[in-house]
Order: sequence, then C-alpha cells, then structure tokens
Amino acid sequence: MNKKAQQEIVGFVLIVVVVMVGLMIYLTMSLRSSPENEGSLEVANALDALMKQTTECAVVYVPNYDTFEDLFKSAYKGESCTNLNKPAREYLEEASREVLTDMMASESSVMAYELQFAEKNSEGAIQGLLMFTEGNCTGNVNSAMRTLSSGSERLLITLKTCTF
Amino acid sequence: MVKKAQMQIQQMSFMLIAVFIFFALVGMFFLRVQVGGIKGSAAQLQKEQAISSLQVIADMPELNFDCKESMTLDKDKLLIMSGDFGQDYDLFWPVASVEVFKAYPAFDSQIECPAPNCNYYNVYNNSQLNSKKFATFVSICSKERESGSVYTRCNIGKLVVGIINNE
Repeated sequence: MNKKAQQEIVGFVLIVVVVMVGLMIYLTMSLRSSPENEGSLEVANALDALMKQTTECAVVYVPNYDTFEDLFKSAYKGESCTNLNKPAREYLEEASREVLTDMMASESSVMAYELQFAEKNSEGAIQGLLMFTEGNCTGNVNSAMRTLSSGSERLLITLKTCTF
Repeated sequence: MVKKAQMQIQQMSFMLIAVFIFFALVGMFFLRVQVGGIKGSAAQLQKEQAISSLQVIADMPELNFDCKESMTLDKDKLLIMSGDFGQDYDLFWPVASVEVFKAYPAFDSQIECPAPNCNYYNVYNNSQLNSKKFATFVSICSKERESGSVYTRCNIGKLVVGIINNE
C-alpha cells in the first residue's frame, strides 16, 4: 500500500516536472522572439519628416541649405558645409542627434531610439557609417528604413524606436 | 475490503481532479499569454490604420504644401486656417479636431498661431471632449527669402487629429 502511494506521488511529480519544463521552454521562446515591427508607419513618418528637415548646412552657397536627405549624401561624399566651416559628416552627427532628441521628447511612449546610417555596396556588403542610440530598450521595437542613391552606391538610413 | 476499494476510488478521483485543475490552470496561463499578444497586435494595427488615415487630412489641398508632397503641410496655409478664416471650414472637417505643433525645435511654452514665434496651430476643434486623438510626424514647409534667393524651408511638426466619438 505504502509503495503504491509512493509510486503515485512519483508519477504526479514527474507530470508536474514535464509540464514545468515545457512551460519554461515556451516562455523563453516567446520572450526571446519579440518580433521587430519593420516598416512601422509611425516610424516611417518620423523618418520621412527627418529627411525633409532643412538643416543649416549649405555645401555650395547660402541659402541652398541641405535637407537631411542631402546631408547624408554630402557626408558620404566627404563634402563640407562651407557656411559653417565644418565637415558635413561632423555636422550630420551633431544635427541628427539634436533633432531626434527633440522629436522623441514629444513621444511619451518612446523609451529608446537608434539611428543607423550605412552604405551598401554593389556586392551587397553593408558598412556602417554612423550610428547612435539613446536610452535602453526593454519594450517593442518599431523600425523603418529609407534608401538613398549616391552614384553607384546605396545608402541605408534606418530609424528604430523602442516603445513601452 | 469494500471500504479499501472505496478508499482507493476516492483517492483516484481526488488525483484526477487535482490533475484536471492543474492542466486547466496551465491551459489558462497559455491562453492568457496568447490573447495578450493578439490584443497587442490588434491595438498596434488600429493605431497604424488611424495614422494612415491622418495622411488623408495632411494631403488635403487646404493644408498640403505645393499639393504634391505627401505628409507635408504648408506653413502659410496653416497660419490662415488657424486664424479667423478657419471658422468658415467648421462643417468641412470630417474629424473632431485638427491641431499641428512644431516638434523641432522643441518648445517650453505653447504659443498659439497666428502670433510671432508661434509653435501651435489650432486648425479646427469642435469642442468634443472625449474624442480619441492620434498623432504623426509631418513636415511644415514654407518659401523663405534669404540673400536675394527664395528657397523651401521645412521643419518637423506633429499633426494631431481627434477622431469623432459617436458613443
């Protein structure tokens, strides 16, 4: 009688252990694979607005100011902002950080954001040119990407935001 | 002997009930996690749909810059529409409110347009208090003159539209 009861207890414990292991595997998988929402409309609109923003950098003459879209290309070509006596790349880094900080300040649900500027050559290899991140991400990631052409090269601009 | 058998049946039934309750709890936990994910996706989808409908407002000729660039508002049109002229459009807007503010450069105090150095355009408001608001980034563009040349200057703004609540 005592042995039978022991066997039943062992069986029950075995079932509990198997279910717990299954549950833990499921939880680990579901937490790990929080999918990134690529092509988020919200982030795409933010990125489009950023690209159209007029900067204070004039490469050729004033008032032919670059938009951010032009500035990414100017920075890639190694041009300078003649009116600011500054390399376009240096100005791009400063200005994009400043603009994005102000933009994201108006978004209460954004806890972190990242801007990536990369070059994709004709062989398809991607080389990072500029990247900066603000905040720590523990929520859902939304992203959008825009492609610019500069000669035969393609420039990839990616904006990622992390929301609660 | 009968008592022993009864005891065993009772033991068995308790065991079955315990196992059933355990699996029911596990099942409920799984369901809760799954439903939570579906709810999150639905909310995200609804938000994306609302934001895409904001494009219709932004692309209306009454607000759009040059009538060709999507999600680009004309600063001069905004100034006119947020002034007295905008009142004539009260029956025109299919929404509860249309507001635009400058997102860059950021500001500490809100100054309603038309006014010098203003940063907030109240294009339309039907005074509905419980309308649900959706916002998206847009460009606010205008033609500027500098050093004898005319050029287009765009700044980042935010379009906030209140959806009419019929409940």
